[in-house]
Amino acid sequence: MTGADPSQIFREEAAELLAALETALLHLEQRPADREPLDTAFRALHTIKGSGSMFGFEAAASFTHHLESAFDRMRKGELAATPAMIGIALAAKDHIRVLIDDPAGADAAAGAGILARLAEQSDGAAMSASLRQDLDDADGRASWRVRFRLAPDALERGTNPLLLLDELRELGDAGVVALTGDIPPLEELEPTLCHVAWEVILTTTHPRSTIEDVFIFVIDETELTIEPVPVPVPEREAEQGPVMTADLPAPAPVPREPAAPKAEAGPEKAKAQPAANSIRVPAERLDDLMDQVGELVIAHARLKQLVSDSVDLQIKSVTEEIERLSNGLRDITMGIRMVPVESLFGRFRRLVRDLSQELGKDVALTMSGEETELDKTMIERLNDPLVHIIRNSLDHGLEPAADRVAAGKPPQGRIHLSARHAGTRVLMTIRDDGRGLDRDRIRAKAEEQELIPPGAKLSDAELFQLIFHPGFSTARALTSVSGRGIGMDVVKRTIDGLRGTIEVSSTPGGGTEITLGLPLTLAIIDGLLVRVGQGRYVIPLFAVEECVELPPDVERRHAGRNFLNIRGALVPFLRLRDSFGVRHPPDLYQKIVIISSGDRRVGLVVDQVLGDHQTVIKSMSKLHADVASFSGATILGDGSVALILDIAQIVAAGQVQDQRREAS
Amino acid sequence: MAVTDTRSFEALTLGLGGEIFAIDANSVHEILDVVPQTEVPGAPPLVGRLINVRGKVVPLADLRIRFGMDCTPPTIDTRIVVVEILLDDEPTVVGLLADKVHEVTSIAGASIEDTPDIGMRWNPDLIKGIGKRGDDFIVIPDIVRIFTTH
Amino acid sequence: MAKTVLAVDDSASMRQMVKLTLSTAGYQVVEAADGREALAKAKGTAFDMVLTDLNMPNMDGLTLIRELRTLSTYRGVPIVFLTTESDAGKKAEAKTAGATAWIVKPFQQDQLLNLVRKIIGT
Repeated sequence: MTGADPSQIFREEAAELLAALETALLHLEQRPADREPLDTAFRALHTIKGSGSMFGFEAAASFTHHLESAFDRMRKGELAATPAMIGIALAAKDHIRVLIDDPAGADAAAGAGILARLAEQSDGAAMSASLRQDLDDADGRASWRVRFRLAPDALERGTNPLLLLDELRELGDAGVVALTGDIPPLEELEPTLCHVAWEVILTTTHPRSTIEDVFIFVIDETELTIEPVPVPVPEREAEQGPVMTADLPAPAPVPREPAAPKAEAGPEKAKAQPAANSIRVPAERLDDLMDQVGELVIAHARLKQLVSDSVDLQIKSVTEEIERLSNGLRDITMGIRMVPVESLFGRFRRLVRDLSQELGKDVALTMSGEETELDKTMIERLNDPLVHIIRNSLDHGLEPAADRVAAGKPPQGRIHLSARHAGTRVLMTIRDDGRGLDRDRIRAKAEEQELIPPGAKLSDAELFQLIFHPGFSTARALTSVSGRGIGMDVVKRTIDGLRGTIEVSSTPGGGTEITLGLPLTLAIIDGLLVRVGQGRYVIPLFAVEECVELPPDVERRHAGRNFLNIRGALVPFLRLRDSFGVRHPPDLYQKIVIISSGDRRVGLVVDQVLGDHQTVIKSMSKLHADVASFSGATILGDGSVALILDIAQIVAAGQVQDQRREAS
Repeated sequence: MAVTDTRSFEALTLGLGGEIFAIDANSVHEILDVVPQTEVPGAPPLVGRLINVRGKVVPLADLRIRFGMDCTPPTIDTRIVVVEILLDDEPTVVGLLADKVHEVTSIAGASIEDTPDIGMRWNPDLIKGIGKRGDDFIVIPDIVRIFTTH
Repeated sequence: MAKTVLAVDDSASMRQMVKLTLSTAGYQVVEAADGREALAKAKGTAFDMVLTDLNMPNMDGLTLIRELRTLSTYRGVPIVFLTTESDAGKKAEAKTAGATAWIVKPFQQDQLLNLVRKIIGT
């Protein structure tokens, strides 16, 4: 376990902070007036510096200190978050990472260079008044209702409430109301005691703890409540009493508008949730937990089967109770493993920024649905495929600005990443507004590589699937960014491995859209349990389109050709009995399960459809690595093992058979 | 080419196709009665089936196939010996079918002889050596090689 | 007019540090080496704040705080005491005696400055 080593914890923490810093910097580059990314960046730097020096990362801490100072000045409006400054900060962030991960291997000259540029930028770069104004109006704040009543003798003890109010006002926009209801009549008034309480509506980017710190010396004797108030704050001040103005400038108006709704506000909102109540758990423990829950689900399935014959109502009721509990536990456990795709999408801001500079293309990356959650393991494995797809879009999809203008498009290219739920799947879309896929080139290339017979009739979707074929690349000129013919086939393999699907659509001149369909988790899937001969198999439910009966005359009519007419469309089908070499005699009435992968549909002939089965996925042994037809195994209610069909492989096999028959 | 292992070791002896085999007792997880088995279409015959061992899906190997022995149907004595072996440095759990499980015994290094190159009815590459116990010969199979060579 | 602070400590180096820090920031600092000296000086001048150690010869800090609070001119004057982390009991005692705030030793110069600004402003 990693729990014991504080410097390791610091490294992990620093990695997260640096990621947050990068995201914040890229946000800031887009919207230099935003307050929140600035604060996020500052906090990340501040923590890295502070914790770094505490855990012996002196080099990182002292380097970070300079950057922190610059960001502090930006927060105070003394420096502007210029693109040049962001560029330096990004380079500095990379350098900090090296200083933490491999202090000995850090390039001191590079570090000094960054600091020199930082100093250059920091000097004399005054912030314009309008920018200053923008900063003050920035969103991403929280509002708090702070009420406090000092101990009656607080004034005698030297506490000055005006200074406390001043301190609160320094934290943000504060509206101060004196609560004077408890002031006694003049004849009873003891002038040395404090009879007034205050209510302050404070809109600040500081956390609650900073507000509490204002009261640090009096907190034991003071009635203090700090509660969040939703923005916008209604203007209640007037109803409650006179606004205290003596000695104080008029309170700054509380912003009337909530944080301006922005298309890309998702992650900020999510991050605004207090993170204080979270704990850090090594990923392996979650894996272990998921394993155990999987066992429980299986054990329960067995129990349920055993109990189904019992007449003992008490046992039945306990079994049902256990079912409820184990389902709940399963859902919670799966939930724990879920992380928002923002953690994945966020990485691509930097990628797009760097690539667009490298390629000299002006590209805007937009996102939606970043709050959509996916299994953590899945998120990790999606990184590389998405990098490939985005690179392709930038490199091949988006045209140079001149071409875009000539085509009547805005010079700035757009790439949009989105994620959304669709049933038990998550759909992740990468869309560009580039030139679109070149059908003729794809066809020519495929014919040249003999992937398709010359002149073959293919739908667009079928044609586009060819780009995922190993070795297939249509790029005219190989660039350092993509090309080299690797990539899209790897993307396809990875997504298949995740039990995902890929669909491509493209409009000439209008752009390309790649949609990944992904299961929520790698651990459990909904499956359709079928029987072939005496063996039972699980077909992932997401791939199942429908189940139909195999017409008894189908073989006669088609003279041995394995095609089925499904509402006018010819669908090839595979007899799993043949594929699996089953010798047991077939059932009289065979069923066909129609499955789809991408745009292709294949029918699977089975002896019996047994029904839905929630499947805890067990990986296959290394000894079965060569067995292509199955992506895993599961354990059924009676304790026996059933194999899970690998949809992509089965469909490919169906297609091969299809082509063989066509050829003969 | 057989390698002679000169160290003595604790071995589990089991009957397989009329011969006595010895496997390292330290690698044995447990011994099971015959459990339901699932055929894996397209898998090599050596590991053509899967079993459920305490919630884990484990391949079941029939070593008799590798040694060219008759695959007789299971009897009342048939057992599954669950062992853990290192394949490419990765611990892998496999069930081994045994016609009968005899005992755990110590096989002295001195009693292990080089595999005779001739006079064996199976591939000498697949065994580490021949041990002797009383008048009986004991075959010491090279489990890892059995699974990694074809 | 500059605010005046009475710094009370039997350690000359500590007084030096306080004086240096606060005078650089524009405060006027008067030193006293123990509670008795501090009380005498306090009676002669209206300080804006008293900063005192607790453990001192002749008159300790707690007694000084109590004595100051009996003076009508020192009701309402902030009194800050120096303490160490382990002195939780002392902290409570000092607050009961009438102290306004405290600062934990060892502290950095800017921590002291922030505290003074917090307590009496600039």
